[in-house]
Amino acid sequence: MRRRIASKRTLPALLAAAALVAGAAACSAPGDPAATAGGGAAGTQAGTKAPLVIGISLSLTGDFGDTGKAAEKGYELWASQVNKSGGILGRQVQLKIVDDTTSATQVVTNYESLINEDHVDLVFGPVSSLLTVPAARVAARYGYAFIEPAGGAPTVFALHLHNLFLAQPAPVLDLGVSFADYILSLPASERPRTAAYSSVDNPFASPVVEVVRQKLQAAGIKTVLDQTYPAEQADLGPVVARVVAAKPDLVVDGTQGEDGYETIRDFVQQKFSPKILFMPNDASDPVNFPAQVGMGNVDGVFTADDWSPLASRPGNADFIKAYLAAYGGTASQIDPTSAEAYACGQLLQEVAQKTGKVDNATIISTLHAGTFDTIEGSLSWNADGATNGTSGLLLQWINHELVPVYPSADAAHAPEIAKPAWGE
Amino acid sequence: MHTFLQALILGILTGGVYALMSTGQTLVFGVMRVVNVAQGMLVILAAYLSYTVHQDLGIDPFLTLLIVMPVMFAVGVGIQLAFIRPVKRNRAEAGFEQTLLIMFALAVGIEGILDLVYTSEYRSITTSYANSSWTVGGYTLSVVRVLAFALAVVLLAALWLVLNKTGFGRAVRATVQNPTAARLLGVDTERIGALGMGLGVSLAGASGAVFGLIYAFNANSSYDLVSRLLSIIVLGGLGSVVGAVVGSLSLGVAEAVVATVSPVWAPFTFLVVLMVVLLVRPQGIFGAVERGAL
Repeated sequence: MRRRIASKRTLPALLAAAALVAGAAACSAPGDPAATAGGGAAGTQAGTKAPLVIGISLSLTGDFGDTGKAAEKGYELWASQVNKSGGILGRQVQLKIVDDTTSATQVVTNYESLINEDHVDLVFGPVSSLLTVPAARVAARYGYAFIEPAGGAPTVFALHLHNLFLAQPAPVLDLGVSFADYILSLPASERPRTAAYSSVDNPFASPVVEVVRQKLQAAGIKTVLDQTYPAEQADLGPVVARVVAAKPDLVVDGTQGEDGYETIRDFVQQKFSPKILFMPNDASDPVNFPAQVGMGNVDGVFTADDWSPLASRPGNADFIKAYLAAYGGTASQIDPTSAEAYACGQLLQEVAQKTGKVDNATIISTLHAGTFDTIEGSLSWNADGATNGTSGLLLQWINHELVPVYPSADAAHAPEIAKPAWGE
Repeated sequence: MHTFLQALILGILTGGVYALMSTGQTLVFGVMRVVNVAQGMLVILAAYLSYTVHQDLGIDPFLTLLIVMPVMFAVGVGIQLAFIRPVKRNRAEAGFEQTLLIMFALAVGIEGILDLVYTSEYRSITTSYANSSWTVGGYTLSVVRVLAFALAVVLLAALWLVLNKTGFGRAVRATVQNPTAARLLGVDTERIGALGMGLGVSLAGASGAVFGLIYAFNANSSYDLVSRLLSIIVLGGLGSVVGAVVGSLSLGVAEAVVATVSPVWAPFTFLVVLMVVLLVRPQGIFGAVERGAL
């Protein structure tokens, strides 16, 4: 799960992109015969086997383009699998995916068009909280269930929408809970005595670090540094130097984007290797993190995510097998966003199996009433759509591989508390 | 005290990299009265070029400058000939707004192409010495940053020599000081403008290769650079190469030193310095009220 939000630097691009693509988007939405293939409204008529049309707006271009394409793979994989097995309640699933160009304006236009002009039967969510917030409002206005893969920020649940369901095991805020729980599970003699908390001022980073700090500090681990730096900080050298000067046993580093890579580089250059290092965001990228910081510098680093190819979850192995057959590559290269999107489909499938219906009202009431097994874990929700009582996976780089280490039910390897020195 | 001095060293080294970027930008403004808001994007374009040459040909990033700088020089000349000159010919000095928009459009266009070609994943130029550092008197000196600073010093010295010891440099300075008089004296100001643009963009090329060595980047990384570079050249004085260097070092040192006390205030500090300077001296530290600051 790469948590993405538009920063100041992206806004000019978003505005420009929105203006440039407005016409293009209009071409593919209203009045386009291809766009309405399958006739969503017809699909809801009793007794017919018309396709079940699901409308989705994804960021196939723009800042979140890579994440959007990963979600597209997950959605399409699920649809192709379910169609091979006869569809949902005998209806073939047809996805209508439109590009929002990572624009919060375009995503609203897209869902309005999907619902009012294409009359899709159902909708699934876009990627990123930035786009989920406006999109979920549209879906709520028309009474559509809104199962969404990647909107886990507090702003999403602050909408208090009864129709929204996050297909991840934990909202963003709880991403570090597994790490804190693991540290507190250690015998007192093995626990770190001091900790430094450093984070960029970003809704996907600093709140996560703060939750960890509160838990560890309450348990007696002394805070020797607690700093938040602005996203505009050009050079992290001085910020990292403060961490180094504090000489903590444990470093919790809430970086986002390129900051995580620079932080590791600065640690290496300043010859400081903390005993325990937790980087909830950047270190969870199985491809780019080692590529950017060097494979010799990854081992021992803890991180967190909502999905791992090695997590012991029902259906995970089948998902990976199907994914690799469809798209190639290796399991470690699968973007968790694909798994999140796939899980959205699994939830819909389970509702249909339980109730024999796939109308929006049934989906909303059913999801609020039970617990559902997906490759993202067993999910249930509170009234606002945040997942209940679970936390994300704690992952660790061990022998150059990113493996789930906590909670033990999902673990593929025992955590290794002592981080090796850089370059080993 | 140790932390303060460490930050001071870091700030100076970082300022050197910014000096490379901003001198190119201020040169373009001085010669052509074009606020090159695409300079940040050109830096990133050069970073991608250097990255590609390094990846595909295995050439050391510093040696990629031998390819990247000429290519970027050609890009700069091309921009001048294809986009700026027609506007300037039509409206002369009145083309300021148009050239601003042209450069912005170019930046957006280049960003889109880079996103398509390289995707939005972060890249960085990784070498065997990327994470190496020297310890001198207890202070850590990043090898890459020291080399980048040395490169900046060499290139800026070369720029000074070109501007002050060659006929081309005299023509550039004449164009900066009084383009009409320069034309009357036989200086082909359009040609000088094209070469000046090429020179400014080739400096962006040099700094791009260095930028990619120090920082991870994607096409969006240019937006942070744009505001910084504009702030630097406004502080130093629009069109002043010396001002750009002083502004860059001020930015690097101010942010690094203040960050050791409180990272929250680091970016703001430079803006405070900028505001104070502009209140006292609106033309910037080395800027002239009229043309001719170079």
